[in-house]
Amino acid sequence: MDPRQEYFRAITRRHFFQQGALGLGAAALASMTGDSAEAAKLPSSGIGGLPTLPHFAPKAKRAIYLFMAGAPCQMDLFDYKPQMNEWYDKDLPESVRQGQRLTTMTSGQSRFPIAPSKFKFSPHGENGTMVSELLPYHAKMVDDIAIVKSVHTEAINHDPAITYICTGNQLPGRPSLGSWLSYGLGSMNANLPTFVVMTPNWSGRQQAQALYNRLWGAGFLPSKHSAVTLRKSGDPILFLSNPEGIDGSLRRRMLDSVSRINEETYRLSGDPETQSRIAQYEMAFRMQSSVPELVDLRQESQATLDMYGPDVSKPGTFAASCLLARRMVERDVRFVQIFHRGWDQHGNVAGDLPAQAKDVDQGAWALIQDLKMRGMLDDTLVVWGGEFGRTIYSQGGLSKQNYGRDHHPRCFTVWMAGGGIKPGLVHGETDDFSYNIVKDPVHISDMNATILHCLGIDHRKLSIPFQGLDVRLTGVEERHPVKELLI
Amino acid sequence: MRSRLLRGNWRWMAFSVCLVTLAGSAQMANAEGTDEIDFNRDIRPLLSDRCYACHGPDENHRAGGIRFDQAESAYGEADSGEIAIVPGKPDESELIARIISHDESIQMPPSDSNKKLSLEEIEILRRWIAQGAKYQSHWSFEVPHKSDPPQTTVAGWGQTEIDRFLAARLEKEKLIPSAEADKRTLIRRVTFTLTGMPATIEEVDAFLADESPDAYEKVVDRLLASPKYGEHMARHWLDAARFADTHGLHLDNFREMWMYRDWVIQALNENKPYDVFLTEQLAGDLLPNPSWEQKVASGFNRCNVTTNEGGSITEEVKMRNVNDRVVTTGTVFMGLTMDCTRCHDHKYDPLKQKDFYAMYAFFNSIDGSPMDGNVKDHAPSIYSKEAVEQIASFDQQIKAKKEETQATLAKIDYQDPGPGVDNPEVKAEEIVWIDDAPPEGGAVSGNYNWVAAPEPVFSGEKSAKRTSTGNDQVFFTGAKAPLTIFKGDVMFGYVYLDPKNPPREIMFQWNDGDWDQRAYWGEDLIPYGKNGSTKHRLGDLPEAGKWVRLEIPIDKVKLKEGAKINGWAFTQFDGTVYWDKAGVVTKYGKSPQFKSMVAWSEYAAKNLDTVIPENKQVTEILKKPADQRNEEDGKKLQRYFLEFVCADTQETFDKLRADLKSLTDQRSSVVKDSPTTLIYKEAAKPVKAFILERGEYDQIGEEVTREVPSFLPPMTEEMPRDRLGLAMWLLAPNHPLTARVAVNRYWQHVFGTGLVKTSEDFGSQGSVPSHPQLLDNLAVEFRENGWDIKRLMKRMVMTAAYRQSSDISPEMAKRDPENRLLARGPRFRLDAESLRDQALAVSGLLVDTVGGPSVKPPQPDGLWKAVGYSGSNTVQFKADEGHEKIHRRTLYTFIKRTALAPQLSTFDAPNRESCTVRRERTNTPLQALLLLNDPQYVEAAVALAGRTMDTGGADPVSKIDYLISLCLLDPENQVLRKELESLYFDSLTYFQDNPEAASKLVGKDENPAELAAWAIVCNTILNLDEVVTLR
Repeated sequence: MDPRQEYFRAITRRHFFQQGALGLGAAALASMTGDSAEAAKLPSSGIGGLPTLPHFAPKAKRAIYLFMAGAPCQMDLFDYKPQMNEWYDKDLPESVRQGQRLTTMTSGQSRFPIAPSKFKFSPHGENGTMVSELLPYHAKMVDDIAIVKSVHTEAINHDPAITYICTGNQLPGRPSLGSWLSYGLGSMNANLPTFVVMTPNWSGRQQAQALYNRLWGAGFLPSKHSAVTLRKSGDPILFLSNPEGIDGSLRRRMLDSVSRINEETYRLSGDPETQSRIAQYEMAFRMQSSVPELVDLRQESQATLDMYGPDVSKPGTFAASCLLARRMVERDVRFVQIFHRGWDQHGNVAGDLPAQAKDVDQGAWALIQDLKMRGMLDDTLVVWGGEFGRTIYSQGGLSKQNYGRDHHPRCFTVWMAGGGIKPGLVHGETDDFSYNIVKDPVHISDMNATILHCLGIDHRKLSIPFQGLDVRLTGVEERHPVKELLI
Repeated sequence: MRSRLLRGNWRWMAFSVCLVTLAGSAQMANAEGTDEIDFNRDIRPLLSDRCYACHGPDENHRAGGIRFDQAESAYGEADSGEIAIVPGKPDESELIARIISHDESIQMPPSDSNKKLSLEEIEILRRWIAQGAKYQSHWSFEVPHKSDPPQTTVAGWGQTEIDRFLAARLEKEKLIPSAEADKRTLIRRVTFTLTGMPATIEEVDAFLADESPDAYEKVVDRLLASPKYGEHMARHWLDAARFADTHGLHLDNFREMWMYRDWVIQALNENKPYDVFLTEQLAGDLLPNPSWEQKVASGFNRCNVTTNEGGSITEEVKMRNVNDRVVTTGTVFMGLTMDCTRCHDHKYDPLKQKDFYAMYAFFNSIDGSPMDGNVKDHAPSIYSKEAVEQIASFDQQIKAKKEETQATLAKIDYQDPGPGVDNPEVKAEEIVWIDDAPPEGGAVSGNYNWVAAPEPVFSGEKSAKRTSTGNDQVFFTGAKAPLTIFKGDVMFGYVYLDPKNPPREIMFQWNDGDWDQRAYWGEDLIPYGKNGSTKHRLGDLPEAGKWVRLEIPIDKVKLKEGAKINGWAFTQFDGTVYWDKAGVVTKYGKSPQFKSMVAWSEYAAKNLDTVIPENKQVTEILKKPADQRNEEDGKKLQRYFLEFVCADTQETFDKLRADLKSLTDQRSSVVKDSPTTLIYKEAAKPVKAFILERGEYDQIGEEVTREVPSFLPPMTEEMPRDRLGLAMWLLAPNHPLTARVAVNRYWQHVFGTGLVKTSEDFGSQGSVPSHPQLLDNLAVEFRENGWDIKRLMKRMVMTAAYRQSSDISPEMAKRDPENRLLARGPRFRLDAESLRDQALAVSGLLVDTVGGPSVKPPQPDGLWKAVGYSGSNTVQFKADEGHEKIHRRTLYTFIKRTALAPQLSTFDAPNRESCTVRRERTNTPLQALLLLNDPQYVEAAVALAGRTMDTGGADPVSKIDYLISLCLLDPENQVLRKELESLYFDSLTYFQDNPEAASKLVGKDENPAELAAWAIVCNTILNLDEVVTLR
């Protein structure tokens, strides 16, 4: 179909629904569409987004971002560097480092001894893609995903780096990726939030880098575009449950009064915000049933549960979060982001990295298989990666058995799969030291541009004037979606 | 032209569809004036937004040799040879030709710019050129001038200047203002506007009863004098100042800063003039002899987020700290968006990158590290006023005491009595504490198994013979006369190890309050203590088959001088051990006493360790042979000898020393207990500043000096080139921005939207003022009236415009949805803080103490932990306990920047990571869930129900009357009454049928069903549109 035609069609549809939402109230809208989870879905063009979006026919309707906070060691997982075995405990040549700045955690080290990965790699998939023994499930799905080994950033410390990749700027205050999507594309489900974040447990060292609400915040956009965080214990969404002593029927009775009184207020004072408030209270009531239904994994078949592995039955694990993410995108939540912490292996790679990898390996694989089996992988984008890479040289003591790795912004590995992404691809190349990129560099903002592209957004055109700048997720420099990755 | 365009291609049609939604703002701009096109109002925003990016002030990104921000260039020849704007002749102007062209190669704005012009906008440009294409300087960069307020015929709107300006505009728009709001609505509104709280029943009743013409004015004056006014005004300012209780980055540790917050509250309550308010915050530390308050105020410049992340590069962190100060200063005081000039010249405003770094130079010379050290009092900081005064007093007393010591020394006329007077030996004494039995009062645990000869006995009649497999311990505690430990003491004890069955480890352990003093011999098997810290290895096991005296110098086991030992433990691992007499060898801490300095110096030269280590000079002198010491050396030795050694003078100096120690101890305890707050302090020498290319800390360019942006009036001679001079410059009568930006923010506070909607941006990308002359008059008068904030607030709330009903007719909703023209009173959702404060106030829970440390009312578990760094001191949220803390005004809620309390964030409160001068006001289902279910709001509903049952009258009807009065609902609204009544009876039936549900909701009560039913009514009320809205 001609993308422009699709675009006009989307606008027409959306205008109808916006009219509907304003004129009739979302309650009426829901009654119009029935009450089931399926019926709560809205057109994929969404409601409440910008009329000019999507800019072209999107390949992905929704996205899941598996964020590995702390920065995984790329050369121990994906970026296979067999030559390094001969460099064990030798100094990183100055010709490789090229005077590049280091964090002050290792800039005082007298030596930069090379630590080859102690983990075994083997070829997998049609192209014999090398994957570390730490990721046996990933090894099984190399033909489903595109591995990008040449992602790079400028930031070298966690706080600025993770803020940068999540919001497009190293300083706080900018909208996050998900809030841009909510702002631009709107919602596809009347009963669930547009953007959901989960922060599962991790198994590596518990002294882990922090997250910040700003990573999924709305920055200077209205706060309704920030993520709703799904909590591991207690109410899955803050204040979802009625207080003890108030059951659903009493709450309904009470909300009927709220609605009737507010209707009268509207009749008397004519403020459209009052009508909007009536609609929000009705949505809140619907969320009280739609969210518990969403997080109830008992509805899943044993086969599905088995696929995600034994962790899936433990609340707050990465595997459980992956299954929840699938249930959300199934219900057309636009964007789900899972922040898995604990990847900051300054020391004890031997102990911590296998534990971290085990946390995510099967869940991520199962998510891709699950989406594929349900025919949803074609229009769901999945991204996996951290905020920067790690150094080939050891931080602290080096032995054949164990070593540590410092921050390294100049290259790291990210994989993408699903809606709009070519499967079975390896893109970009680093030098023998996994230190500098030698082919096809992909800046983190290029990657964000690619994500936006898959969702039908021209990253240059999604901008908001703020503080004298046309602020974009991808910043002011020239950036491009990585066309080699795109279908 | 229009017909030609419409004939064009499909794209124009698409745009006209989009226009319907975009037209609102364009209409507003046009609606403001006459047919005359006004450059500042109508044209600059268009050119700025669509054209300046390539044809604007930024020299590095200028295309085609043409700029539209300056008439000369726009009227002149471009690189192409064409003339963009021919005044009076739109059809000859290339600007228009290119805008309407369909040729992609020349079309403007280019298609990849994502910028378009609507048909209306093109028509406006055409008309402007036809009318002569007159340029004006950007309105906000011109000095404001007063103009006479227009006359008006609108009844009741001729009294105040503000109303006359507003009315003139309404007349022009043919909009009819609304009637005055009823008194109940009015007092609710003005109480929220000025104090952020609802009016009380008593206040409402008094106002309703007061029929004097100045009844309303009396209310306003009362509110302006209320301490709640300062709290509420402060809350708005603290968003701008980015005040918080944590550092904001990485660990996001606790930052103690509340004394700055309290300064702001007090300043606003005292009605500190805005010029003083500004100066003290920007440069309080640079004022002559700054007061404690002025130093605290300078903490404004320290409210930026900071980090101490491992691996950070100090220069980079420093740059970010300074950037934030520059950007905040630009936004708060000038409405200038300076952030983008960090990297390049401004695209839209005449701000150069150099201007940014010239401003940077004012803020880069702080006397402290950019890294916050993860401590609460990241230097420079200051103690509380009380502590500062006490410290100063102690410092003075300490100084006096030291002087007294010197004076006393000087007065002594010392004559050496010569040799033979002193005996340098101090005899050690052995105190036996345990022999044949533990000391008196010692409570024994375990069995000593005392044996007599022929078993091995070393002393007295008996020894303790113990045989064990594995760990075995005997001890006593609580000896009646504890052993006092002196410097240099040595503990001792005798053991005899059975050669046939030797132990693998033996251990002594002493109790001085705890048992953490352990000495052992042999292997480390006894499972007590931590080797190296609370358990120390003294050596191998002693030789078996003979009595051995074990000696333990107290330093080896960290026994401290002054410790009082009340217990001793004897532990062995395996084997047979005989234990006998034990005790201490002591000199009672005595050093040899001397009367002769000669005798002492001979002794001390051989025993340098007896010299107090701080006196290095004395040690050095003593190292020299006596005949090589000069006269000065001799004097120094004598002073030392008299002060610290001489037997005849020690009584005097001991007393002086004790006095001094007491003073320093007291000083330390004041320092330890005092709260702190961050302040600004200038480094001794200004740090050089450079342009940082592309905003990168390590791309150092041209050096710059402290200067203000070149397009604004220059600093004069009498303004020092520092932050104080900067404040003077901001406040100069010819500064075009400072007063306008301030009054606009107060206008926004009162009316919901500023006269300039973009209160953070007065530049060409910002919105144009809805009432430019009114804004200018307010700005000039604000300055002329001595920057009197309360007076300005009063002027605004006294207007007819403010006092109108806020009801919205469909006509008004369509013509002026944002209420910029004020044909109705302000109406918008209450802010997060006011919502919670209201719930606490009407329920009677509120504790209205002003100031003090921030508090942590309850919030759901895990919100901090979910994001926090494990090593952060704010990773675990622990709610405060007690009414006095959990029911304070929301202004005092602890702000953790990386995880703002949901009661705040859900209602659009900023996380204080950066300066915010305007909050969004959203309306979301999460807000509904919070107001319905948050335990704090439920608690308020139950308390409100209790209050209603206690004081609301006998029957449900009077209780509902009471609630309507208390919550300031509309008493005429019959639907409301009927609904609340029927809800009450339905709920009552429900809880009577489900008594256990009632007790779950309200706890124990005489009549839980009734209370619970009222709680449902109150919960409902706290969720009503009328209650959550300022109206």
